Amino acid sequence: MSPSSERAPSVEASPPSALKAEASSHHQPFAHLNAPNGELYRAVMGVFVRAKERFTVHLRPEDVFTALPAERRPTDIDTVVKALDALAAWGNLRPDPDTTRVTAVEDFYRRRFIYQLTRAGEAAEEALAAYDAALGRQGSLQAVALADIAARLRELLAHAGKAAPDPAMAHLALRDLVGRFTDLADNARAFMGSLQRTIDLHDADVDAFLAYKDRLIDYLERFIADLITTGAEIARLLADLERPDPAGEPAVERLLRLAAERDAADAAPGATEEPDGAALATALGGWRDRWAGLRGWFLSSADHPAQAKLLRSAARSAIPQLLTVVSTLNERRAGRSDRSADFRVLARWFAEAPDDAARHRLWRTAFGLYPARHLTMNADTLDARERDPVPADTPWAEADPVRISPQLRRTGHYERRGKPRRVADRSEERRYLAEVARKQAEEIAAARARLDTGGPVRLSDLGELDPSAFGLFLQLLSDALGSWRPGGTEIVATGNDGAMEIRMRVIPGGGAAEIHTPDGVFRGPDHTVEIVDLAGREATG
Amino acid sequence: MTLRDHTREQRDAEIRRAARALLREPLLRNQGRTVDDFRLVRQQAPELREWFDRNTGWSLHVDAETARLRKLPGDSADPTHPARETTGARLPFTRRRYVLFCLALAVLERSDTQIALGRLAEQVVLEAAEPRLVATGIAFTLDNREERSDLVAVVRLLLGYGALTRVAGDEDAYLKSAGDVLYDVERRVLAGLLTGRVGPSMVDAAPFEERLAALAADPALDGMDSDDLRNRKLRHALTRRLLDEPVVYRDSLTEAETAYLSSQRGAITRRITELTGLVAEVRAEGIAMVDPDDDLTDVRMPEQGTHGHVTLLLAEYLAGTEGEVPVARLEAHVRELTAEHARHWSKTAREPGAETDLVARALVKLEALSLVRTGVDAATGGRTAERLPALARYAVGEAIVREPGERAPKTSRRTPRRKART
Repeated sequence: MSPSSERAPSVEASPPSALKAEASSHHQPFAHLNAPNGELYRAVMGVFVRAKERFTVHLRPEDVFTALPAERRPTDIDTVVKALDALAAWGNLRPDPDTTRVTAVEDFYRRRFIYQLTRAGEAAEEALAAYDAALGRQGSLQAVALADIAARLRELLAHAGKAAPDPAMAHLALRDLVGRFTDLADNARAFMGSLQRTIDLHDADVDAFLAYKDRLIDYLERFIADLITTGAEIARLLADLERPDPAGEPAVERLLRLAAERDAADAAPGATEEPDGAALATALGGWRDRWAGLRGWFLSSADHPAQAKLLRSAARSAIPQLLTVVSTLNERRAGRSDRSADFRVLARWFAEAPDDAARHRLWRTAFGLYPARHLTMNADTLDARERDPVPADTPWAEADPVRISPQLRRTGHYERRGKPRRVADRSEERRYLAEVARKQAEEIAAARARLDTGGPVRLSDLGELDPSAFGLFLQLLSDALGSWRPGGTEIVATGNDGAMEIRMRVIPGGGAAEIHTPDGVFRGPDHTVEIVDLAGREATG
Repeated sequence: MTLRDHTREQRDAEIRRAARALLREPLLRNQGRTVDDFRLVRQQAPELREWFDRNTGWSLHVDAETARLRKLPGDSADPTHPARETTGARLPFTRRRYVLFCLALAVLERSDTQIALGRLAEQVVLEAAEPRLVATGIAFTLDNREERSDLVAVVRLLLGYGALTRVAGDEDAYLKSAGDVLYDVERRVLAGLLTGRVGPSMVDAAPFEERLAALAADPALDGMDSDDLRNRKLRHALTRRLLDEPVVYRDSLTEAETAYLSSQRGAITRRITELTGLVAEVRAEGIAMVDPDDDLTDVRMPEQGTHGHVTLLLAEYLAGTEGEVPVARLEAHVRELTAEHARHWSKTAREPGAETDLVARALVKLEALSLVRTGVDAATGGRTAERLPALARYAVGEAIVREPGERAPKTSRRTPRRKART
């Protein structure tokens, strides 16, 4: 096997055939409509459009898979990947290498992609959206328009308050309102488009983006603030205009009708003396729709939150996303600094250095990763020097030397490393501890032997126990009572250390038992008890 | 002792441990082996930063992930601090490995947050095609096992520093062409690997010594000149050497350094003792900051085991010689010793011919500790070794004929060396 193919499996992992077609310049962004599986393609594109509304630029196949509506979601993710690649081949999507973290070597080499809408794909979706009347108008991000709309509404409110509003003025105000509103919507689309392009890492000039992002974030923040303040005022004005007048119909209705009449009069100039009823109805319907659109923008209804509210959250969520992009860019920039050049130059210096000694010196100076290095000194010598300091002008050869363990000199091994005296101390302590441990073990063994009943006896027959035997007994008792089931009459338990076993049975009407210890008397209901010293019997038997 | 004294003492002890950790390992990370040291350094960072800045001119950088003391040697002439492979014989890096190390870093600097060893190898090969590097006669293909083992040694060193973290796979499989390895690239660590204030790419000098000097320079200070600054530079240079080097011989100092040291020796060594617990051993020939705690070093003497033993025995032998001694004679001496000590030595050390390696390794240690100087005999071309004054600080001898456990009488300790001399 050739090593190079081994190290670069990516060479073998050829891209899906659909991706190869990506190179072709003939985009067919509407091709997927007629393809088999067309519904899935539309749904996938729908995911991208929705993601884009949330300012998400790139989607992984897994993201698309989870975002697909349940009724369109295929059973496995590969189908989605195929659909994505097909859409990329048609030019609706663009695949880019996925650079996120992976945990397996194969994943690193497998061609992984993230996808984003292409301009063609976006245009196609826009066109389709226009056909799919289901999609409403997009929100806008123009703060000035908001103020204008509020002003027009105030004007309208003034007109509505008059007994006989001037039809021309009312019409003008309404037309203006619609004009500003349309501006707002158009502006929104343009803004979203440019924002998208700006966030797009592949197209953006990094410096331009970084310079732009402050203004962008600033703008978004200002817009959010305006939307909160002006938006509230607009909502209030709208409510005022819809308040029923003395005649019982919303105040704005009268103005809408005035505008519709003027529209109808324009639509049929000089055809008849009477305004055409049909034209009037159409015009009025149009104005009512526009009004409904306007109010839907700023007023929430029970089943439909206001567009302005959605827009506000969209704008708000755009800010952290922008900041993420900025930090990613900064990280990449940091990686592209001149340090790479520094290392290349160093590589050459190492190659050009006269000898190994020079290279070791270069290494030490350039990287500075060397540890400090010091001679050692044992405690004995240190003590001796403190008692009897050596004058600073003594040559090493004359001064009291460091003593080296004769054992080390002889065999190359210490008896013990470090300070001999303290080692001796420790062995003494160890002896003491061993002695204590031995005594304890003996006491426990004795206590066990004492407790061993050699068969069932009554608790009251146990007699007097010394403290260590009694302590052991209490432990056993608590182990036994701990596993006592309500209503049971007999219990068998093994002590925590497994050295003893206790078997207890209730004696009905058995009376009280007493166990005497030097510290006092232990009382309780009498039981039959059998205690077995498992460890002791093992040892002796 | 009052409570305040007690707290103060505790804090001093922590600063000391933190300082020693940094001197031992100038790059600490907030994970793995160094996590405790890192925390300690982070807690005491302000105080340490001030101390190192004032006394050594080394900057201490501490962030949430790494602590880095940007050490620069007080004396860049010392070749006994090579990069070493992290496994096996811990051999010093070769020319190829050093170059490979730098090329790998150049690639990693530009890489994404993850990289596979195979990919790294490909890109290193591309980097190596740079014409000026090619002109030095070095070339990499990384398609045979030997070259791969060079790359693996480099990568393992980077893993050791924490510049890479292994995610999947292992290097042995890569060596056998049977697999690949995936790493996370730790940018913070990568950014802290170079120590100097001058980027090598900013240096035009061509002669090696000038390049080295440029790397160690501090452009901010070098441009200015005043008594105060000159003194500060002297203090920095001396403190750096005393902090890092086993022995600073007076004959290795410049005139200005000697003058400054004679007036400031007490102050400088006291500050070092306060910070690190190292104790000054001042002698006519120089100063050694010796370590009673015996852990602030990468080379030990005395040391257990065959090589430690051979080093000790050679030190003893060299202590009784004058001037340059041919290495061949040392080898002959070790051959004689083999008969006496073989039962304590490892099997390989007992094989015929092993003395060459034994002597070489012992000399590397003795030279690293500034106890011996090696050279080449101008007449014969053979290698030589010459004892340096501090070698005399070890007394071995008399006790060798005694039984273990029996204490050598204090008065007899120096006798054997005297005997050897006469």
